[in-house]
Parts: sequence; structure tokens; C-alpha cells
Amino acid sequence: MKKFLIACLLISGSAMAKDITIKVNGMVCSLCAQGIEKKFKDVSEVSSIKVDLDNKVVFLTTKGDLDINDESITKIITGAGYNVASIERK
Amino acid sequence: MKFLTLIALFMTGSLYAHPVIFEGGTVISSSNMESYSDNQILYSYSSKWAAGVNHWRFTKNEDNTEMGLARLNHLFWRKNGEDFQSNIYLLGGIGVIDSEIDKRTTDDVYMVGIEADWETRNLFAALKHYQFTSPRVTDLAMTQARVGFSPKETPYDQLQTWFMVQGMYAGDIDRTVSITPLLRFFYHNVLWEMGASTRGEWLLNLMVHI
Repeated sequence: MKKFLIACLLISGSAMAKDITIKVNGMVCSLCAQGIEKKFKDVSEVSSIKVDLDNKVVFLTTKGDLDINDESITKIITGAGYNVASIERK
Repeated sequence: MKFLTLIALFMTGSLYAHPVIFEGGTVISSSNMESYSDNQILYSYSSKWAAGVNHWRFTKNEDNTEMGLARLNHLFWRKNGEDFQSNIYLLGGIGVIDSEIDKRTTDDVYMVGIEADWETRNLFAALKHYQFTSPRVTDLAMTQARVGFSPKETPYDQLQTWFMVQGMYAGDIDRTVSITPLLRFFYHNVLWEMGASTRGEWLLNLMVHI
């Protein structure tokens, strides 16, 4: 029973996490990507960051039921010196 | 010949040490040749401005001219394209110069500079010009440029290799243009370069973003 409850909690927790795909203009080298990655690591709502340099895309996963709005994402990308081309959520 | 000379003038030599990076980021860079070195620590307090310190050395016939400068860099213009980025930076500095070339004179020095670059995942071109002015020491000017390509676009977590050609013309130190083919390596936040110039000088550069 205890195992079942823990499994339910884990499943519900991951189901609430949001996957965000950000297409970034100007991200052409690993130093650019590193800057963006570092900025998102400082964001408490974000649990994981993955950079796809070939497609100029940053993938974010949020923690639990936390979210990060488009305005905050755009501010972080702009603060790193780049532009947001699009933001998609799942 | 005139065309070749012009190309040579634009092929010059030091690290293209991103003058401004992401807000809160620090760049530590070191560019080293026998006739020249440039070491910098710059903190970007916004995505448009960076401040820091900078040491330069120019060597002529074993006599050194050295400068210690407080630096302020400004990202004047940037275009972030889908597959490219291009930038224009304006650079300034104030400090002290010590020149063995000019009868061992120490004086104030002021620096202004401009850098422009354009890069994609596998092509790179850059040009920069620095002007150093001092009341009692002979003025120095340096023009540098670089072109390069990367044969393979590698993922973020893998080593990327570039082939580049750079040069340097600092007419007050040496009337000839130094051309330096070099290899550049990128891995995450670290960039390093090595090469040898047509004058037989080694080149070793390192840059880290923190």
C-alpha cells in the first residue's frame, strides 16, 4: 500500500511538471549556450535544462506544479544577449 | 598585390575575447604571442556593458611596452539571426603605460577600440582596431582580423574544432603583418587556441566564461 502511494505521488508529480521548448535566435556557439544554461540554472522553478545547439533550441522542465511564464523566459534569454523566436509548452 | 596587402592587413592576431557576455557573467582571457600579449578579466553587469581590467604587452627587439588598463566595453549593436549572430562593440580604457621602447617612460594611457564580428555554427569573421594614446609615449595602434571555419557542427556537450587564420598589424611596433594559422577548440565554457605565425612566433590563447 505504501509503495502504491509513493508511486502515485511520483507519477502525479512528474505529470504536473511542464516541458517548455524555446527556440533561440543568435545561439550559435557553446559559449552562447552556456550563458543561457547558466541563467536558467538560477531559476528556482526550473528542474532541468537541455540545449540543442544544432536546432538552436533550449528545453526546460519545471519542478512539480511550478511554472515559468513566457515573459520571464524572454527576459532571461534577452538578459543573456539573445532573442526568443518561439516558446512552446507541453 | 594591393588586394593581398589589404587582406593581410585584415588578418591579424589575438584572441577574440567576447568583450561583453551574458548579464552576471565573467570572462577571463589570455592571448599570448612572443611579440604581444593581452590578458583580461571582464565582468558583464548587463548584456550590454562590461567592466574589468586588462594588461597588454608589445615587444619590439626585446624591449617591452606594457599597459595596465581599467576597461569599459559596450555592446553597441547586435543582430541575432536564426543561424547567425553579428556584433559591434565599442571599447574604452584608461591606465598606465610603461615603455622600454620610448626611453623607459611611464605615463598615463588612454585606449579606444572597436570590434565587429559575424559568426554561424561553422563560419566566423571578425575585425578589430585598438588605438592607444599617451601624452609622453609614442602612440600605438593595432588592427586585427580573423576568418575561420569549422568542418563539423558538434553538439553542445562535444568538442568543436575550428580552423582559422588571423593576423596583426601594429605599425608602431613592427612594419610587417603577422599572419597566424591556428586551431580553435570549444568545449562548453572553455575556448583555447594554438598556432604559429609566418614570422615563426607561437600563439597560445585561452578564454573561460564563468
